[in-house]
Amino acid sequence: MRIAAIVPAHNEARSLPRLAERLRAHAPDIDVCVVDDGSTDETAQVAAALGWTVLRLPMNLGIGGAVQAGYLWALEHGHDVAVQIDGDGQHDPADLGALLAPILAGRADVVVGSRFLSNGGFKSTLVRRAGIRYLSWFLRLRCGARVTDPTSGFRAAGKTAIALFARYYPSDYPEPEAIALARRAGLRLAEAPVHMHDREHGRSSITMLRSVYYLVKVSLALVLLPQRGERLADDGSA
Amino acid sequence: MPSDRLLPFEIQIISLAVLGVFSAWVLWLIRTRKLHLRDSLIWLLTTLAAIAVTAYPPLLAWGADALGIQVPANALFGAGLLYLAVNVLFVTIAASGTTSRVRRLAQECALLRAEIEELRASAERKNAGSAERAPPVPRR
Repeated sequence: MRIAAIVPAHNEARSLPRLAERLRAHAPDIDVCVVDDGSTDETAQVAAALGWTVLRLPMNLGIGGAVQAGYLWALEHGHDVAVQIDGDGQHDPADLGALLAPILAGRADVVVGSRFLSNGGFKSTLVRRAGIRYLSWFLRLRCGARVTDPTSGFRAAGKTAIALFARYYPSDYPEPEAIALARRAGLRLAEAPVHMHDREHGRSSITMLRSVYYLVKVSLALVLLPQRGERLADDGSA
Repeated sequence: MPSDRLLPFEIQIISLAVLGVFSAWVLWLIRTRKLHLRDSLIWLLTTLAAIAVTAYPPLLAWGADALGIQVPANALFGAGLLYLAVNVLFVTIAASGTTSRVRRLAQECALLRAEIEELRASAERKNAGSAERAPPVPRR
């Protein structure tokens, strides 16, 4: 069983050593692939020095394009499972066991880590929680996916899901849409309790005005969800 | 002549000249490969329609009448806006396609670069090993 860790990173050179430490402690056999999304700091050098594979995107593609590059890598290298972990330190490799369990047991194709199913940890602000609840409700309404933390970028994908996401992955705030895509493709979803930390360095890319754009964009994307397979364009982004 | 009422002769001539120059420009851009025929077909077709209406204004009156527009000039403005909107939409479609392709190419570049780095590292290890005449290390 070969497991890949896809770590999208944009200027996260300072956070990566800590992630490496936690990964060594909790998942020493995992193949780490850092996707350097056009960083201007030493992200790629730090990741390479840690002995990880580094995918250096020649320009900033945003989280969707970066994560998809990771899935393409996992598909090409024949990994059975791929885990998405943010490079900024908010996801804890200690939860990998819980996140992988449903896939290893053959019960799910995609597992979404949910901060609301665990005790303690960073639960985000009240306003954002309201947004997350709305997205969760909308996802269930639109495609019957029951996910309590649809914006979570801490997730695991089995072999069929890797192939799907390597082919189609949304751009521009892709997390809720990716769940809908997986659901539409007939994949089985599961959730796992995870702990999230507040960012160690840097600021979240999501500000107040962007939150509004986020909700509008994601809602529209969910309304306009392509039909199963056939209406997805063959150009890689959905 | 009904065309006199709809469009003064001078304006008709000037419009035709402008549209003619515009079409020639688009055709020249295609010939010099600055524009892809595929992306510019919509410009040519819509400009041709504009030339037809300008050359024979009763077409406009007939169109306005069919749509229930009282003043043919309003039909002209409407058609002009539609002409621009359609062309801009086609440009946006082309831009979206390009964005998707650039994204895929960037990903492919990153994958290939990682592959090259890995190959180079393994070649260097091999060279270093043979230079020192070290006994072959069994692969784990």
